[in-house]
Amino acid sequence: MAITLWVIFTVSFFLMRAVPGGPLDRERSLAPEIEKNLRERYHLDEPIWRQYVRELGNVVRLDLGYSFRLADFRVGEIIAQGFPVSASLGIVAMLFALSLGLTAGIVSAVRRQTIVDVALMLLATVGIALPNFVIAGVMIILFVFIWPLFPAAGWGTLGQLVLPGFCLGAPYAAYIARLMRTGMLEVLSQDYIRTAYAKGLPTRTVVLRHALKTAVLPVVSFLGPATAGILTGSLVIEQIFAIPGLGAHFIQAATGRDYTLAMGLVLIYTTLLYTMNTLVDISYAYLDPRVKLE
Amino acid sequence: MKSFIPYFAVAAVLAAIIWAVSFGTLPPADFTFCNGDEIKTVDPAIVTGAPEGRIINALFEGLTRWNPKTLEPEPAVAASWDISDDKLTYTFHLRKNARWSDDTQVTADDFVWSWRRFLHPATGAEYAYELWYIVGAEEFTTGKIKSDFSSVGIKALDRQTLQVQLKHPVPYFLSLVGFYPMFPVNQRCVRKHGYPAWTKPENIVCNGPFRLKFRRIRDRIRLVKSDTYWDRDNVRLNVIDALAVSSSTTMLNLYMTGRADWITTVPVEVIPELMKRPEGDFTPSPFLAVYYYVVNTTKPPLDDKRVRQALALAIDKQQIVDKVARAGQQPARSLVPTEIRKYIDYIPAECGQYNIEEAGRLLAEAGYPGGRGMPKVEILYNTSENHKAIAELLQAQWKRALGVDVRLRNQEWTTYLNSRRQKKYQIARAGWIGDYVDPNTFLDMFVTDSPQNHTGWSNTEYDRLIDFAQQEPDEKKRLAYFHRAERILMDEMPVIPIYFYVSTSMVRSYVKGFYPNIQDVHPLRAIWIEGKGEGGRKSRN
Repeated sequence: MAITLWVIFTVSFFLMRAVPGGPLDRERSLAPEIEKNLRERYHLDEPIWRQYVRELGNVVRLDLGYSFRLADFRVGEIIAQGFPVSASLGIVAMLFALSLGLTAGIVSAVRRQTIVDVALMLLATVGIALPNFVIAGVMIILFVFIWPLFPAAGWGTLGQLVLPGFCLGAPYAAYIARLMRTGMLEVLSQDYIRTAYAKGLPTRTVVLRHALKTAVLPVVSFLGPATAGILTGSLVIEQIFAIPGLGAHFIQAATGRDYTLAMGLVLIYTTLLYTMNTLVDISYAYLDPRVKLE
Repeated sequence: MKSFIPYFAVAAVLAAIIWAVSFGTLPPADFTFCNGDEIKTVDPAIVTGAPEGRIINALFEGLTRWNPKTLEPEPAVAASWDISDDKLTYTFHLRKNARWSDDTQVTADDFVWSWRRFLHPATGAEYAYELWYIVGAEEFTTGKIKSDFSSVGIKALDRQTLQVQLKHPVPYFLSLVGFYPMFPVNQRCVRKHGYPAWTKPENIVCNGPFRLKFRRIRDRIRLVKSDTYWDRDNVRLNVIDALAVSSSTTMLNLYMTGRADWITTVPVEVIPELMKRPEGDFTPSPFLAVYYYVVNTTKPPLDDKRVRQALALAIDKQQIVDKVARAGQQPARSLVPTEIRKYIDYIPAECGQYNIEEAGRLLAEAGYPGGRGMPKVEILYNTSENHKAIAELLQAQWKRALGVDVRLRNQEWTTYLNSRRQKKYQIARAGWIGDYVDPNTFLDMFVTDSPQNHTGWSNTEYDRLIDFAQQEPDEKKRLAYFHRAERILMDEMPVIPIYFYVSTSMVRSYVKGFYPNIQDVHPLRAIWIEGKGEGGRKSRN
């Protein structure tokens, strides 16, 4: 993992500096003397290898220093404030995604080739195809203006959690539904399921007790990267609902050439992705009897 | 282990929800507004943006402050001042009851220290050049005089008297010292905690009408009324929330659902509908800012003045305003917004009116009759639907009127700025907001060595006139110099003005003390709430 992080760090470091423009560029061009003062202050006047060594040292000490764009805060503070927000929104979104997705997937597999199946899968296709800002727009019109159930934006109450959670989770729910259906169909055609039916067990028991555990495997492997993505926040949803999470920082840091903040976010994301994928691998051992943990 | 996973998942979900909801227990604010993007810092010395300005204006106060209606500088920390006959020496008499939030007095020495810090090379203040009118200040910032501040014309004569020595008369100097970068900071606080730790709510000491209660990144800044501010009896709001909302659509949603009382901008798409609102709460007003194109005059065919003039004459600016901007902006024929006339006796020099025949004639004279033989021209703009729509209109207009082919290229913000700076463009979109109500803030951009001049255009007569204007003590003559300079600019056309911006604030009718003005400045200290109907939805957040 340390090696992965180091590679990611190095690549990001040089990519960021290869893009035209730097953190000191702004609409109002600076007088050359003032720009020089600023460059010295941020060590941008040093040769690039010195900057690299300096920043690597900072990463190792787990302190990237101050953000360029949000100058009053350390990168650590920004992440510490934003990550829990994105993460809790992500968990709520995951809750929506799993409950809706799994139910829809199971139902349409069991009722395959019926009108229910077609309707659910059509909905899932729409869910995948529609970008979530469209879903968010429709939801806001429906549940904020036409039927004022929820607040338009902001963070801090249960009501403010529902719409963004749903909009963020909807595309994931759609994916999960399709994966679940495919997995379930495959399992249902297997011999041990036929045996279970032959023993006279009701459909409900067969599906939930015997089939679900194996059928859910594709969903689980999808969940690893999906969770990492959902936890680090979504730019679009956070922007629309004015949620103070990490998602918006990603884009702003990139467009503002906020080297330190962008680096912090990239490393956090890498760590999460790595952890989630590892967790998924471990969970196989528990779910799939064919995999043994060495 | 296996049976542990579901419990863990349930616990995580519960924890997430409880944690998220724990934010909701804030007591409501008296006044909530959307401040745009998260601000860079609350340190007056190092910021330049409008959202930062709104917060810093609430937290700190300078020698003067601007009247919310007329923008006239009024006594603030300075109770009075004397100006010498040659208009070069300003003596400010500070009021006794101007106090910091730690209940100590604001002294002349605080200003000397703050301005020294502001001008110091290590601070890297972007606005430092605004104080370069002071004797020795420029040399101090650029390091020509090393750490010797005594030669800079800023002196504390005693605890309450500050004397400033200017290099040349600056008619707007009193306004300038009421501009937020020139606000004082508390030296004990800054020394003790260092930057940026001193800006934390628990450390900060300020002298303005409000104090910083807390900051949540990309959520809100909460301000509460200061009980040490000298004019606290006239401050009527007790708690203010400045929401960090970057999307104008979200701002509008919050406004429409009663969760924001003032939003600083609205989505362009709905402007015509908003203007028809029966509440009348969206009335765009002129703003001291201009939307224009800069031309790179170093490369053919645009190095030929006639080509630039032809392009400028062939733009139907009215169509751009009517079809794209749509908030009643005025088409621009000068760089300095014409509305400045209401505040200062300056009449901007204008370029020619929309005239296709004349444009065609000029282009033919330059050797490209009907656009034949003319090399392709490219318009560069920063990625945005609006800028794109305007560039596309120009493309169509030029094609139709002159037969000139134009390519469009968009770049993301920082790349675009970089291309402009390095002159890797032919024609580029630009915008400029005046820092103070004077033609100088627009016209000194295009002198030869200005860092804002990315056109490669240089005109000795223009440079000379701007210099004369800056040295001239007589107001009439001074403005006449500016007028002559702008006439040159509007003849040579290294810039093509398109339209003058309007401010697009939307504010509830129960918000009082909020006046439209040309700088779109609305000090929070002057605002109060009156007659907020009981029927209106209570905002919890």
